[in-house]
Amino acid sequence: MLRFYVEVARTAYRRQLIYRWANLAGLCTNVFFCLILSSVLIALYQARPTVGSYNLRDILSYSWATQAMIMVVLPFGWIDLMLTIRTGEVVTDLSKPCDFFCYWCSRELGRAFYFLLFRGLPTYLIGLLIFHVELGAGWSVWPAFLLSLTLGTVTGVVFRILMNLAAFWIIEARSIVGFGLTTAHFFAGSYLPLVFFPPWLATLAAWLPFTGMMNGPAEVFLGKLSGPTLLREILLQLAWILALIVIVRLLTKIATRRVVVQGG
Amino acid sequence: MFQALARDICLYIRLIAMQVKAQLQYKVDLALDVLTSFLVTALEFATLLIYFVPFPTLLGWKVGEVALLGAVVSIGFGLAELFGGGIDNFEVIIRQGDFDRILLRPVTALMQVSTTQFRLRRFGRITQGLSAFGLALFFLRDAHLVWTPLKILVLCLGILSSALIFVSVLLLGATVCFWTVETTELTNILTYGGREMLSYPLTIYHQFMQRLFVFIVPLAFGTYIPVCYVLERALPFALPNWLAFSSPLIALLFALIALAFWRFGVHRYQSTGS
Repeated sequence: MLRFYVEVARTAYRRQLIYRWANLAGLCTNVFFCLILSSVLIALYQARPTVGSYNLRDILSYSWATQAMIMVVLPFGWIDLMLTIRTGEVVTDLSKPCDFFCYWCSRELGRAFYFLLFRGLPTYLIGLLIFHVELGAGWSVWPAFLLSLTLGTVTGVVFRILMNLAAFWIIEARSIVGFGLTTAHFFAGSYLPLVFFPPWLATLAAWLPFTGMMNGPAEVFLGKLSGPTLLREILLQLAWILALIVIVRLLTKIATRRVVVQGG
Repeated sequence: MFQALARDICLYIRLIAMQVKAQLQYKVDLALDVLTSFLVTALEFATLLIYFVPFPTLLGWKVGEVALLGAVVSIGFGLAELFGGGIDNFEVIIRQGDFDRILLRPVTALMQVSTTQFRLRRFGRITQGLSAFGLALFFLRDAHLVWTPLKILVLCLGILSSALIFVSVLLLGATVCFWTVETTELTNILTYGGREMLSYPLTIYHQFMQRLFVFIVPLAFGTYIPVCYVLERALPFALPNWLAFSSPLIALLFALIALAFWRFGVHRYQSTGS
C-alpha cells in the first residue's frame, strides 16, 4: 500500500513538471514580493541594528527563507479538494480502495517536493545573489532543518485539507479557505518575521499550529534553535500534526456519512 | 451625443444593478464573503502596524503617516477591484470564446466586459481601507496635522485617480490577453505588487522602482504624492508641490492611453475558434 502512495506522490510531482512557464511566472511574483519586503526591512533597520537576536542579515535570510517555503508549505488559494467536493468527483475518490486522507496527503507532498526543487530553491538562490543571505548556520543545522521543514510541510498539507473539508457543509467555501490560509500565513511568518510581534501576539502565535509551518523551519535554518529549544520545536510540530490529523479524520468520517451524490 | 452618453450610463447602472441583485440572493454567502475579505485585508494592514512595534520610524515616517498611506492605497485599490473586476477577469472571457458574442451586441465591448463582474465582496477591502483611515487619524492625533479644504480635495482626487490608474493597468493587462490568452504575471506585479509597494513610502525603494511608479505607471500620483501633500512632506524627485493637484489629469491621460491600446487590441482580435 505504501508503494501506491509513493506512486501517487510521484504522479503529482510529474504532473506539476508540465507547468514550466506558470512556475517561472510564479517565481517572478515570489521574488518581486520578497524584494518589496526586503526594501521595507532594510529601511526599518536604519532605526535600530537588532531586534531580538536578529540583525538585518538574519532578518533578510528569514524573509527569503519563508518566501521560498510559501509554495512548498502553504500555496495561496489551494482549493483543489474543495472543487472535487463541489463537482461531486469526491465520490470517486472516496470509493477508491485507498485511504482518502492519505491519498490527498501523498498527492500534496509530491507537489510540495516539486515546489521545493523548482520554486523554493530558485527563490532562495536569488535572495542569495542579491542580498548574500545566510547559507544555513553551518552544516550541522541541515539535518534538523530538513526534518523541521518536512514536518512543517506535513502540517501545512493537513491544515489545507482541513480547511477544504469545510466544503462538505458550505458549497462555496472559497472565502473560508482564503481566510484560513491568510491567517496561517500571518502566524507562520511569511507576512512579517515573528520576532516583530508584540509579546501578547507572540504568545497567541505560540499556541497556534501555524508557527511550526514556516517560522520553525526558518529559525532552525538560521541556527536560532539548538539543543532543548530545537527538540521542543520538533516535538511541538509533531504534536500539532497528530492533533490536526485526528481532527481531519473525525471530520471526514462525519462528512462522508452525509455525502449525498448529486446526479448529473 | 449627450443622449448616447446618458443611455450608456443608464445601461451601465442597470447591468451593475443586475449583478448586485443576483448576489443579494445569497445573503449569508455574501456576508461571509465580505467579512472574510475584510479580515484578510485587515491582517495585511496589521502587518504594516506591527512593524512599528520594534521600530520607531520607517525612514522618518511614523506609524500614523504610513497607516494613512496604506489606507489611501487600500481604498483606491478596493474601488478598482470593485469596478474593474470584469476587466481583471477578461482572460476567462477570451479563453471561453465569449468575446465573440460580446462583439456581436450593439453595445461597446468595454462596457460589457467591465460589467461582467461586480463583486460586492470587494466592499470588504474598501471598508478595511476606511477603517484604516480612521485608525491613521487616531495615530496622527498628536502630529499637529492641519487639515485644510485643499488637502481634503487633494486626497479625494488622489484616491479616485489611483482607482482609475489601477483599472487602467487592468485594462492594459486585459488587452495583452488578446495575444497571450492569459493574464500575464506582469499585470499582477503591477496591480497586486504595486498595491503592496505603494503601501510604504516610495523613498525606501530602488530609484528604478520609484521612477516606474511616478513617471511610467503613475500610481504614485494617486497615492504617495497626495499623502505627501497632506503630510506637508517633500514630493519625490523634487517635484513642485502644486503637482499634487494634477493627479486626475495624469490618471485621465494614462486611462486614455490604456483605452487606445484596448481599441487597438479589439481591432486586431482573432477568435480562438473553439
